[in-house]
This record gives sequence, structure tokens and C-alpha cells, in this order.
Amino acid sequence: MPLDRKIGYVDLSTGNIEIKPIPLEIRKKFLGGRGLDAYLLYNHTKKGVDPLGPDNVLLFSGGILTATCASATARTHVMAKSPLTGLLGSANMGGFFAPELAWAGFHHIVIKGKARKPVYLWIHNGEIEIRDAKNIWGRTVTDSQWAIRDELGDEEVKCAVCGPAGENLVRFANVMTGIKNSAGRTGMGCVMGSKNLKALAARGTMDIKIAHPTEALEFNKRFIDQIVSAKVNQTQGTLGTPFIWGATNSWGGIRCRNFQLNQCEYADDIEPERLDEIATETIGPYHMTGCFGCQVHCRAQYRIPSGPYAGRYDEGPEYTSQGAFGGEPDCKNAVTVLTGNHLVDQFGMDNLETGSLISWAMELYELGILTQKETDGLDLRFGNDEALLEMIERICYRKGWLGDTLADGGIPASEKIGKNSFDYLIQVKGMSNLHSDERATPALALGIATGSRGSDHLRSRPAIDLYHLPEEVLRKIYGTPVPYDGPLSSEHTAYEGKPWQVFWQENCYMGVDCLGICKYHTTFLGATLPNFEDWSRVLYYNTGLEMTPREIWDVAERCYNIERLFNLREGLKRDNPKKGDTLNHRYFDEPCKLGAPDVVGRTIDREKFQKMIDEYYEHHGWDSDGVPLPETLKRLGLENEPSHLL
Amino acid sequence: MAMEKEGLSTAESLRKTRTYGKFRCHNPSCMGRLQPKAGEKQVKCPVCGMEYRVHWIRPDFPRIRGPVWDVNRKIAQEALAKKEGKEDATR
Repeated sequence: MPLDRKIGYVDLSTGNIEIKPIPLEIRKKFLGGRGLDAYLLYNHTKKGVDPLGPDNVLLFSGGILTATCASATARTHVMAKSPLTGLLGSANMGGFFAPELAWAGFHHIVIKGKARKPVYLWIHNGEIEIRDAKNIWGRTVTDSQWAIRDELGDEEVKCAVCGPAGENLVRFANVMTGIKNSAGRTGMGCVMGSKNLKALAARGTMDIKIAHPTEALEFNKRFIDQIVSAKVNQTQGTLGTPFIWGATNSWGGIRCRNFQLNQCEYADDIEPERLDEIATETIGPYHMTGCFGCQVHCRAQYRIPSGPYAGRYDEGPEYTSQGAFGGEPDCKNAVTVLTGNHLVDQFGMDNLETGSLISWAMELYELGILTQKETDGLDLRFGNDEALLEMIERICYRKGWLGDTLADGGIPASEKIGKNSFDYLIQVKGMSNLHSDERATPALALGIATGSRGSDHLRSRPAIDLYHLPEEVLRKIYGTPVPYDGPLSSEHTAYEGKPWQVFWQENCYMGVDCLGICKYHTTFLGATLPNFEDWSRVLYYNTGLEMTPREIWDVAERCYNIERLFNLREGLKRDNPKKGDTLNHRYFDEPCKLGAPDVVGRTIDREKFQKMIDEYYEHHGWDSDGVPLPETLKRLGLENEPSHLL
Repeated sequence: MAMEKEGLSTAESLRKTRTYGKFRCHNPSCMGRLQPKAGEKQVKCPVCGMEYRVHWIRPDFPRIRGPVWDVNRKIAQEALAKKEGKEDATR
């Protein structure tokens, strides 16, 4: 049964390993994946823990549905206190690692301490072993995985590794699996590096018994049909996620030149169709592939067509790389995007953070705040492709003053650079924004401002707000499973009703993160994709756990609140520009200059924004400072946390 | 709400709202449904005048490849000039 998967506790300082079952009462409260990780993190860390010290706890998990008959349950979640933000660290990746971990008998791995020398964990059929990683340390992401497979003599071993960036304690280093699947936000690879932990390697052949197999398979046919028939997923299966960047750039919703512009004009060479053409030319017409148990196949494969890395194989690029190495630094060349994507994949470094910080440095350089003294002679202008690629490597290996400075993340870098450099840093809670511009979309602006891991589009973004859906459709979606009769607006430049949409999406995304399902299989980019009601069925058929849609919603809300408690304990304050629910001043002060007629001239209204925050807090049952009220904690059964039950 | 094992979920019931062969104008205040003729490379929104390059995922499945830059840039510049002169940009 999925419910019999275990938690493995590993202390790298002592070498002690413990394996425990997950009590049913805990399952019902937190399900698994991100939600249960949040419970474990809050319980196993103390206030003010050093993110790079041995007392930080690093968690790896699959969802409760991982490796069952349910579709697209490939997601691996990684959590710790973040060395980038000093708040919640949380990242999620596709691929094949979490299912292998489940077949090896585990849903959660809790890692404490610090190894005296580089090690990796070998997790197989109910056992965990700490192994020497001296022959693997220093290798790139893909080399590391093949070295482990060679050593273990099994090509089917799946690994989650940190690359050179993690070893060098770049504070936005990723955990990686496969070629490009990245748990790529908040620096979880850096936490691995700080523990001298190179990898987790998993291989398992333990059956997962399905509670109601016939019904599970029958229902999954419906589930899959719902997913693959959606236009958005058919587009993703052809062009991959770059279509999102292309569509958003078309109307002026991306940021370019570090938020100076909201559209990358004449960017034909980095449009999704152009990238698709290159992938077709270099790999062939069947260049799309997918993660475990997924039918969408949104991941492209390509070879770099020219330049110093010509012929190198990689996967993607995702829309984040188009923004990071195309739009933001204003380098409108496909080869640059593909090369930048390849470098960060091999180094194990967050593409989004890397591209954002380099673009920020480019603006500072053009303003004269940074000079060639700090760049060690590099001409760091916007549009300088060679400088962009050079900076990626300098950050990974902490080369030169600027490479070393940016490797510590935006806020520490701004303190080191000084002057008014912080004013130009486009971040929330110390993490750089996605390469989208939310000045014309208040709901999206609220979402990134309040995200529990910093500025982020995968915590609460009501992307369907952009589709101008009729109000009756919005009411159907946002009125289930919890009745809602407050304001809702089809107009995405409006402020009314948006806090509820953000609140609803938070719970929706927390739901899939607990179940282990990919966000492209829920109400993220498609309005007609499965959510709470569908999950109630899929959960029952696969695990036997009978929960109503409302009960799953309650789990999600509970888990989001425990993340909030963690952040408050670590210093989150509503209006703190470095650790708060707020936005860079440019959102409020500098109007959009490009894009569609109804986008140009827009800013976020400060007063209306604060009103949205108030309303968003009220939906949560938080006070005006964003602190959960005692009755909210009681309603959610969190009044005794940390309870140390597990 | 009890757990329901039968019947359509909300997401499934909304499936009938899907439209194939069309896409929406990317102008947020317009969002009109555009239906290019088969194989057409460019389309103009009859409501707001924005023009787009069209990509065909399949022969029956068009999507916007990108703006016709010069046309849409001119429309945006005119709109911005008008707003800077007269309108409250934040509503």
C-alpha cells in the first residue's frame, strides 16, 4: 500500500539511521510530499538555525500518490531552511527519482548533521546506506549520476544530486535528477553541499499495492483523457513550456532588462517555435519526452547547434531559461538560451536566480554602480551574450569579485555592492522573481508577494485569470470545494476578488504538492484540469484513504499555515522589504512601457495592493500582520505545533 | 460535501467550454476569439486591430506565434501617449 511507505532518518554526523512508519493520523493531516515535509521541518529545526550548519534539516519526499496508478506522480519535493532567503526552502522537480524512492520503500528522507567527508546515500529495498563519494565529488550533474550507476552496477539507479554549484555553496544551487530536472529554487543543492552530501541514489523493486486497482485504472483513463485533451497540454506536448514565455511576451507580460521593460521586442529567434525548430533539426521530429507516468511530454531534447558547446545534448529549455538567458539580459539568440540552459543544468544552479542576478548586475553596470573593477574587466552590458555565459561559470565556481558576490544571492550581494543597488533588485523575501511582469495583473502580483518560499509563480499563481473566463465559470472553479459568493472578476487588470483566487490557488498547488502530482495536471494553465473533487477519487482508489474534496482542501490549508508558522519563526514581517509580503518599488512607481494597449501605462496601485493583502490575510484567518489567529490554528489542528509526533 | 465516486467533477463539467481551432486575441482588454483560416500565417483582430503571426500545432490547431511587431508597437505607443495625457493607468 502507498500508506506503508516509510520515513528514513539519517544523521550524517553520527552515521545513525532510523526507519519509521508514518502514522495514519499524520497522513490524514498532512498527506505527504511538501505538506508532510513542512510538518517535519517545523518540528525538527529550531528558531534561527544556520541554513548551512549541521542542525538544518534537509528533506526529500514523494507524494502520497507517487508511483501508484495515478497519472503524473513524478514529483520529488525537497525542503530545508533556505540559505538564499533565511526562510522556508522548498523546491520540486519532475523526473523519475521519487517513484524509485517509493519502490525502495520510502516516501520521506530526513537528513540531519554533516558528514566529515563527501558521501552519498544508497537507498534500496527498505535499507539506507551512507557511502563514500570521494570519486563523485567535483563532477557535473550528469557525470555524477553515471559515476554512481557505474559504482553500483545498475543503470536503473535514479539519483538526486548536487552539482559543482552546490559543492561551492552557491546559495541558489539546485538538487538535480536526470539531465535537467531541477528542484531549483531556494538553494536546496547548497544545503546538500553544506552537509558534504553529494547525492541520494535510489533503486527499488518493492511492490506498491493499489487499494482498488480496477477502479483506479478506470478512473485514471478519465483523468488522462481530461488532461491530454486540453489545448494547453497539447501545445506543451509540441512546444514544451516555452510556449508560456512566447504567449506572455506577446502581450507584454514578461520582464526584460531587469524589469526596465515588460516585453522583449523582436525576439523571434527565442520564440518557442524557433526553439522547437532547432530541437527538430538537432534531435529529430520526436524530440519531446516526459517524466514518470505522464502523458503530456512537455520536455524537449536538443543539441546545441553552434558555438563553443556545439553538439552538447540537453533537455528543455523551460520558459524560465528563455527569460533568464534571453529576455532578461536582452540576449535574443537561441544558441545563447540553449547554452545558458546547458551550463546551469550541468552546474546544478537555479536558472531563474542566475539569469535574474546577472541581469540585475547588468543594469548596475550600465548605471555605473558596478564598474570593470568589480567585473574583473568584463563588459557586462545588456545584450552581451559572451559576458552572460562567462558570468554563469564565474558564479558557479565563485570566480572573481562579482562571481563570488552574486553566488551569495541578491540581498547579501546588494549589501556588499552598496549604494542604491538594492532598489534595482527584483525580489521577494530574498528570491528573484520569475521573468514575468505582473504590473498589469494584480492577482499575479499578490501571488508573488505572498508566496511562502519567496517570489514565485508555482505557489499561488491564478494563471487562468489571464483567460478572461466568464464569471459563471470562475464561480464554478473558485466556489468548489469551499462555497464562495464574494466578488470575482473576469478582468485581469482588476483588484476585486483576486485575494480569494490567490488563496484558492495556494491550496490547489499545495494539494498537488502533497499528492505528488505535476502542476500541469491541475488548475494552473488550464481551467478544465483536475482538482479537489478529482483528487478525492484518485486518492481513494489508489490508497483506500477516504477523504472528501473539502478534507483535502483542509489538509492544504493546514500545510500552508505550517509553512507560514515556519516563516514567522524565522523573521517574516508583512512590510519588510527583505523578508516580507511586498514587492520592489518598480511595481508601484514605473509604468509598463510596451505590450498591448491595455497593458502600457499600468502600475500596481499601492493602496489597492495593501487592501488585497488585508483581504488575503482575512481569507486565511490571519491577523493584520499576517500571523495565524489562535482560532485558525485550532480549526486546523495546529494549536500544539511543534508537536514532535514524528 | 461527501466524497462522490460517480458523476462529473467540476473540472470535467467545464470541458464543454473548450474551443478548438480558435485562440484569443492577446490584448487583455479585448480577448476576442480569433479563428484564422486553415494555414493562414497572419491574423488581425477585427475588434482591436492587433496583428499576430500564427503557428499551426496541427492543421486544425492554430496558436499565436508572436505579434506583428511593427503594427502592435505602433498601437501600444498610441495607447501609451493617450494614457499619459489623459487616463489613470491604475484605474
